[in-house]
Amino acid sequence: MSKYHPEQDLLTEYAAGTLPLAQSACVSIHVERCGQCRRQVRQLTELGASLFEHLEPVAVGDAQLNAVLARLDEETPLAYDNSRAAPESTPAILQRLMRGDFSDLTWKNIGSSLRISYLQTGDPRHELALYHIRAGGRIPNHTHRGNEMTLVLQGGFSDADGNYHEGDFLFRGPEDAHAPTALQSEDCICLAVLDAPLKFTDWRFRWMNPFLKLRAV
Amino acid sequence: MLRVADKPESGVSEARTDEWSECLGLIAKNQDRAAFTRLFRHFAPLMKAYALSGSTLSANHADELVQEVMLKVWQKAGAFDARKAAASTWIYTIARNCRTDLYRRLQKFDTPLSAEDVSPEQEDPDAFSLLQQQRNRDKIRELVNTLPTEQAQILAKVYMEGKSHSEVAGEMDIPLGTVKSRVRLALQKLAIQIERKPHE
Ligand SMILES: [Zn+2]
Repeated sequence: MSKYHPEQDLLTEYAAGTLPLAQSACVSIHVERCGQCRRQVRQLTELGASLFEHLEPVAVGDAQLNAVLARLDEETPLAYDNSRAAPESTPAILQRLMRGDFSDLTWKNIGSSLRISYLQTGDPRHELALYHIRAGGRIPNHTHRGNEMTLVLQGGFSDADGNYHEGDFLFRGPEDAHAPTALQSEDCICLAVLDAPLKFTDWRFRWMNPFLKLRAV
Repeated sequence: MLRVADKPESGVSEARTDEWSECLGLIAKNQDRAAFTRLFRHFAPLMKAYALSGSTLSANHADELVQEVMLKVWQKAGAFDARKAAASTWIYTIARNCRTDLYRRLQKFDTPLSAEDVSPEQEDPDAFSLLQQQRNRDKIRELVNTLPTEQAQILAKVYMEGKSHSEVAGEMDIPLGTVKSRVRLALQKLAIQIERKPHE
């Protein structure tokens, strides 16, 4: 049971379909596992549907109808199995993006406690990555220039504001500084989405170079 | 206005049937073209309005979208389950996903994920949540026309024009916080509540 959830405005953008792809992917993995947020999203989708029903219709001619009817033969209705599989331990979206398992990923070591694997979503303005923090490992204090979305997939971590466990979802703005530390008991895997890679490069650069950072102060 | 509350609650476990879910059922079962035509005449003009409200799609793309969505409705009718969703909600989510994918295609977005991949699946509701869901639906549909103009306007931009909160803020030249608080107020009026236990 998650304790930390996406805010309502984020869920609204998600339900309206306006959230950037990488962020949608991250939110959907939380929502898939969180009954509270699923019910929220369902209501927010009902809202979208009722706005849709109230639109002023725009005439569509018979030519269009006939064009669609002519194509129905190529498109046989598909048979569907409506039973829903229980969520697997690795979310389906991640399996798709990882093209394999966690062990098949290419990781980039950053210091001794952290490694990062970037996933290609095609979203040009957001970076989606898996963070693997060793049990008890600490990430140096940092701030972001953009927004950071984090979903705990396995294990947990803590910072000055709280403790986060599997399924917890965090959204941090540029003004928030934090120094996450993985729980002592097990390694922590998070999914993170960051704004604009350019900003991230800068942030990563500073973070990877503590001496430079010290000198800059 | 008490129509909803007056309905006997014994019918809860039965699927709510209406003209549109019947049409979907006929398509799934018999590949019924007459039922499809009825759906088309009702929903295609709404889809076209939806396609054009984003204002970035040309009339050609809007027509293309209408065709694509209606073909999906035909193909996927077997997946529709009247216990899980209203037909119009189900059709709306297909239109929403197709429009998002079309935007991404037009932006030459190369991605292995479709909008459908990242939208939540309908789950099997128990009798209680089914009742809850129907009440929520009825309430939202009843109240959506009573919203103050400034709130309705923002919801239309977010949902129908497909703009992010910050795009809406920029376009209307108002602070992002104002957009968010108007959305929040509207959701309160529609009784879309956040059922949250406070952290800890
Ligand atoms: Zn949640």
